[in-house]
Amino acid sequence: MIELKNLGFRYSGAERHALDGISLTIEDGAFLGLIGSSGAGKSTLCYALSGIVPHHYRGDFYGELLVEGMDSAEHRPEEIARVLGCVFQDIDGQMVASVVEDEILFGLENFGVPREEIEGRVAEALAAAGISELRCRAISDLSGGQKQKVAIAAITALRPKIIVLDEPTGELDPRSSRRVFETLKELNEQYGVTIVVVEQKIMLLCEFAKRLAVMEEGKLILEGEVREVLQSAGRMEAAGVNIPRVTTLARALREEGLYGGRLPLNLEEGEKMMREVGLSC
Amino acid sequence: MKGILDYVPGSSFLHRLNPLVKLLLAFVLCASCFVTGNHFIVLGVIALNLALAFSAGIFGRALKMLSSLLKLSALLFLVQIFFVREGQILLQLPLGLYITDLGLSFSLLFVLRLLAAALPLGLMLSVTQTSDIPNVLVRKLGLPYQYAFVLGTAIRFIPLFAQEMAGIMEAQTARGVEFDTKNFFKKVALLLPLCAPLLVSSVRRIEGGAISAELRGFYLRGRKSGYKDYPFALRDFGALLGGACVLALAVLF
Ligand SMILES: Nc1ncnc2c1ncn2[C@@H]1O[C@H](COP(=O)(O)OP(=O)(O)O)[C@@H](O)[C@H]1O
Ligand SMILES: [Mg+2]
Repeated sequence: MIELKNLGFRYSGAERHALDGISLTIEDGAFLGLIGSSGAGKSTLCYALSGIVPHHYRGDFYGELLVEGMDSAEHRPEEIARVLGCVFQDIDGQMVASVVEDEILFGLENFGVPREEIEGRVAEALAAAGISELRCRAISDLSGGQKQKVAIAAITALRPKIIVLDEPTGELDPRSSRRVFETLKELNEQYGVTIVVVEQKIMLLCEFAKRLAVMEEGKLILEGEVREVLQSAGRMEAAGVNIPRVTTLARALREEGLYGGRLPLNLEEGEKMMREVGLSC
Repeated sequence: MKGILDYVPGSSFLHRLNPLVKLLLAFVLCASCFVTGNHFIVLGVIALNLALAFSAGIFGRALKMLSSLLKLSALLFLVQIFFVREGQILLQLPLGLYITDLGLSFSLLFVLRLLAAALPLGLMLSVTQTSDIPNVLVRKLGLPYQYAFVLGTAIRFIPLFAQEMAGIMEAQTARGVEFDTKNFFKKVALLLPLCAPLLVSSVRRIEGGAISAELRGFYLRGRKSGYKDYPFALRDFGALLGGACVLALAVLF
């Protein structure tokens, strides 16, 4: 479990706070999507969760962050890393090896995982990310989506309870983006890993995330179950976040007094709504 | 994008050599070119390199390295050849410039050495997995892991650097800057301002890499925690013997 209590951070030299009084609880087994316009503080929040803020970046830090009961201000990032793994935005910069297998081994060797356990862990992490066949490939030969999965496997091999990902689909095409999210779903459902993912593609979050958090200028403005949060579509748009077209349509129909059911999140539900409204499409 | 020094997977004789032996071999080949004054030995080392590249299935890449090195060497050759003033004059040029037999021989050797010394390093990097270099230095030579890792990372960043530079130049070209100018000084003047963005983006990259390594327990690593063993095999001794022979030839002639 992660608890943020009135958390704030201002990079030294910056004028405004990148994080501004954030309170949030992330339960075990959650799949939380984090959305917000660029500069809203999403990456900084990821840094805070992993302990890089305040240990690496200097600045004013206030409030409290507990990861599995560890206070991030007191515990070193590598201690937190044993329960919480992070995949950051710049995927190429994060790779330490030239071959997929070595990338996975890196963390296992560092954390002193016993030798006889290592092989099993590597194989399992590769399988969970769906990239067993890439084991001996050079990382520089891989596509963006494959690299993203390597980064995910390198983290899952360490068996953290929580994985935080910062815009994992930022440079991917729609199909590879979906595959990455399917991998995350599998980790979440099969292995019970808590997932926190920063993502700009709202449709992916609507489909895969269970809860949604919306940030604006360092503040957490909305948080809750996906459908519940989308009720405040107007507030989200004001914060510069896209909302699904079906949801916009449903809101328009509601305003006209034509529809009173629950908000649709995808095309299927949208079709159902249209039938209810009595228009066939 | 694939850089010219990136690892090429394979299972050839060279690929399977112990990484430490590969390092040593590359070093020995470089050293041979500098201890010898014989053009033919240096040419022989270049040929040996090409043969090794062929056996490892990276002949095309070796040729590419050679051709880009040749461009640099041609420039150095021209500078060198007018510099040496001793020896018999072979060709008299205007402006008081002339070419001597000694100058020709010296410049040729210089350029051949450059080619022969750079090739083995390039080949070694092409057939060695990046993390094997620090790993083997730690396990076999007892180097502290953190230092060995920095070395490995520095090597890995050479291609990333080149990639970054290409990206920045592309962006500038799109904005109408012409890098293809013939004027050398103009080109330098165009390239200099790019150093700042290159530095910034590279530092950012390196910082990102450092953070990611730290979060995966980089500082916890001890000497004993390596997974791979890197045992020496018969072929390793064979390769070392071969290297020793080249060095001996270089010293004798
Ligand atoms: N290293 C840094 N130093 C100073 N300010 C920073 C740094 N990184 C981000 N910021 C600032 O913090 C704010 C939040 O940035 P960030 O967390 O990267 O937002 P997001 O990921 O949502 O786009 C921005 O105003 C940004 O300019
Ligand atoms: Mg960001």
